[in-house]
Amino acid sequence: MATPIFVTAASIAAELHQAMLEAKGLALTAKNARALAVRAGSKTVGFKAITHFIDELASDIIRQSQYINGVSEHLSHNAVALWRASTAAEKFDWIETQHSDNIASLHHAMQSCYQQREALSHTLSRGLRELEQQLEEGDKHIRTANLIATSSKVEAASAGDFRNQLEVIAQNITDTADKIRAHLSQARRLLGQRQKHTP
Amino acid sequence: MLATTLYEEGDHRWIMFARDPQKAEGIIDTNQYMVQSGDQAILLDPGGIELFAPMLSAVLKFVPAEHITHLFASHQDPDIISSLGLWDQALPNAKLYSPWLWESFIRHFGMEKIEFCAIPDEGMTLNIGRIQLQFIPAHYLHSSGNFHVYDPKAKILMSGDVGAAMESTDAPLWVDTMSTHIPKMRKFHQRWMPSNEAKLDWIRRARQLDIQIMAPQHGRLFQPPHVQEFLNWFEDLPVGIAIKG
Repeated sequence: MATPIFVTAASIAAELHQAMLEAKGLALTAKNARALAVRAGSKTVGFKAITHFIDELASDIIRQSQYINGVSEHLSHNAVALWRASTAAEKFDWIETQHSDNIASLHHAMQSCYQQREALSHTLSRGLRELEQQLEEGDKHIRTANLIATSSKVEAASAGDFRNQLEVIAQNITDTADKIRAHLSQARRLLGQRQKHTP
Repeated sequence: MLATTLYEEGDHRWIMFARDPQKAEGIIDTNQYMVQSGDQAILLDPGGIELFAPMLSAVLKFVPAEHITHLFASHQDPDIISSLGLWDQALPNAKLYSPWLWESFIRHFGMEKIEFCAIPDEGMTLNIGRIQLQFIPAHYLHSSGNFHVYDPKAKILMSGDVGAAMESTDAPLWVDTMSTHIPKMRKFHQRWMPSNEAKLDWIRRARQLDIQIMAPQHGRLFQPPHVQEFLNWFEDLPVGIAIKG
């Protein structure tokens, strides 16, 4: 049985929340790296330049994670409303088969319910498409993070006495990027499963 | 869903909806009531979400949807009003009368269109068509904000959980002898009703009413002399027993 979409959307929001927390950690890493680069002086000029990119990347990921989180939560809310309208519509369909004497008196409410279900369904489809686009956007950030991590390692190698400390920071960037990628992948997997089950 | 007319005089009717043979296993059987007068009707404790479809289908056999102008929820329990989110779709112009205490809780069942009308602690009256119903305080029986409904013209008291008995869906509608019915009520009342003081207050109020039918939300209905016998039995029954163990 397919997972209800309000559960999927809430799960995606949770994944993005975790990604955002990792990105906050990345921002902290950027600050530490900058402080270290300042102390290290001329040997780490290249690394210092990279810290600006790390900082910027972390801000972008945080901003985007928050946005996707908001989209997911809105989707989940929307999906609950759709579930309620669909449940009511199913009950109305059943009542109609019972040939109750006054069934005509319910037609206005039934039509209104069906229209609401239709409208919510369209909104939900639009939301799902937007979510997919945003998650693709997230993948671009991860590719950038990988490039920065590689560059950091290269710069760390030529940092003399500070090499070990900068290598730890470079590894930290790699690990954090991996964790964010894992959360984004899981979010996309959840969304993909959902879309596979959506007619 | 079995529908039984309890009272009918002109366009003033009390209909009971209960003993649903399609009811899912494990769900407590409930009695729902509709009071109709003219082109207005009120559903009393319209029931849980599982019951919504058979209940609405049964109700439409008596009145068109636009005549169901009011809902009443004696308290906040799911078997009373968890269907609210669906009634909200079916009866967007209706009003829900319920204890003020439970408004913010009951809204969790979903209510965007129906208007909530708070019943104050001391109770109130409500005109339905050409009749006037009384919301009688029954606080702590069992819920901390709780009302029963009395119709002075039909002389029917909808008594919520007071007088309730746990029985199968094929049980008769009416209490025949108190001696055989009491064992079906005793534990329910002792465990669910928390306050002897509240119980005596309610009995005092009930004795001031002329009751031809006492209609609880579960189990059989009472007629004289069983109504008086019930009040006497309930008066002597110690309740709130869970804290005495």
